[in-house]
Amino acid sequence: MRIVITGMGAVSSLGYNVDSFSKGIMTGQVGFAPIKQIPEVDLLRIQIAAEVPDYDETAHFTKKQLALFDRFTQFQLLSAREAIKDSGLDFSNAALAERTCVVMGSGIGGQTTQERNYKKLYSEKAKRLPPLTVPKLIPNAASSHVTMEFGITGPSFSIASACASSSHALAQSCMMLRSGLVDVAVSGGSEACITFGTVKGWEALRVTSKTTCRPFSKDRSGMILGEGSGTIILETLQHAQARGAKIYAEVLGFGMSSDAGNIVQPSRNGAVSAMKAALNDAKISPEEVHYINAHGTGTPQNDPTETAAIREVFGSYADKLAVSSTKSMHGHALGAAAALETIAVVTALQQQIAPPTMNYNEVDPKCDLDYVPNKPRPMAINIALNNSFAFGGQNSVTVLKRFSE
Amino acid sequence: MSEPIQESTQKTIIDILCKYIDEDVDASQVTPEASFESLGIDSMDVVEIIFDLEETFDIDIPDPGEIANMDNSFSRVQDLLTIANTIITQKE
Repeated sequence: MRIVITGMGAVSSLGYNVDSFSKGIMTGQVGFAPIKQIPEVDLLRIQIAAEVPDYDETAHFTKKQLALFDRFTQFQLLSAREAIKDSGLDFSNAALAERTCVVMGSGIGGQTTQERNYKKLYSEKAKRLPPLTVPKLIPNAASSHVTMEFGITGPSFSIASACASSSHALAQSCMMLRSGLVDVAVSGGSEACITFGTVKGWEALRVTSKTTCRPFSKDRSGMILGEGSGTIILETLQHAQARGAKIYAEVLGFGMSSDAGNIVQPSRNGAVSAMKAALNDAKISPEEVHYINAHGTGTPQNDPTETAAIREVFGSYADKLAVSSTKSMHGHALGAAAALETIAVVTALQQQIAPPTMNYNEVDPKCDLDYVPNKPRPMAINIALNNSFAFGGQNSVTVLKRFSE
Repeated sequence: MSEPIQESTQKTIIDILCKYIDEDVDASQVTPEASFESLGIDSMDVVEIIFDLEETFDIDIPDPGEIANMDNSFSRVQDLLTIANTIITQKE
């Protein structure tokens, strides 16, 4: 069964829609800036992040909704609104609504709500918390509110696998489409955890950069934390064609694996098996791939491990691949990362341009692939991979293809 | 040049390190010349050791990557003693 992408929505540090996201990654726009949303920012060593710029929640939601929607739910709804409108699907059709699933990823869930309310409780000695605290912070709030806003009544849940959450969500959606359980899937992910407590936690792990994200560059100093959301509308080809939908790209397959090693250290073997499983599922040979959107976090650990894994899977053909990390522009949006990067890959397939790895300075002998440094590159791209390797050693890779009948 | 390290400071740092060595490594092997690798200390252990040192001495230690970028090697017990002692002395 063939599965296609028929709608997309994006909220990121590069802007509020797919247009600004695509334009951003294809012009090398680096969306990092001093953190604005943390009042205690002076107490942080990490003071830079990829925040959604000038975000005013009251411009998008009513007061009553805001009492219910954590920032991560808000971002998910914004990208879902764009994607669903873009797809032209109308869920007031009850039969369609029942045959549609909503599967979203988030690494953490309602972290802003957790921190704000627990600060009131522990630090300000509040006697009670707002009654909607729990429904606001649960990680499935985002997927649930998408079903409610659009009246989608098929299966819905959220997936947590840290930095690979929305890639696993995409894979799960494809499995439901393939099984015949649904005809349409609203998939993606959301993250909004640029909060005092979370950034402090990342600081302590010492994998975040104080300056910028330089994936694969010898002088890389870590990742830049991001936020935002991506929504992808998936449909069976048959369903999409029957309603005359515009088709952006085809999802050829996916592969998943577990390192079964360390909670934070990446493993080459785990990445290799996920990529191999994806190629196998897509029924393609390594030589058919032109571009890889790398996990490419810019940490000392990820980049050489991912490079070695790509070399193992692709052999000498690895030198012909274009491999880039768009995290150098939109930051590491954790549970939303793979959804945003899927949109980056679709853009690459449509425009026949490989997006660059920005901030690249210096060759690292341990990272010796073609990373499309600092400038987008027009090239033929028929098939592309999107790599996502999470904390927890949970890996997910998707294979996308330029659409042709 | 960094200040000579006080015996009590060195002992405290070594005691902290000993919490993170592999089970089959004897505490007597934790000498200044020993590499982290030979003691079974991986990069996440180093991050935890840095945290313990910061809490114990009330100091701030740069990231291991930053230390390496300052042209200091950071792979042996001595490297950790030097960087921690430099920062502790500066604080005093």
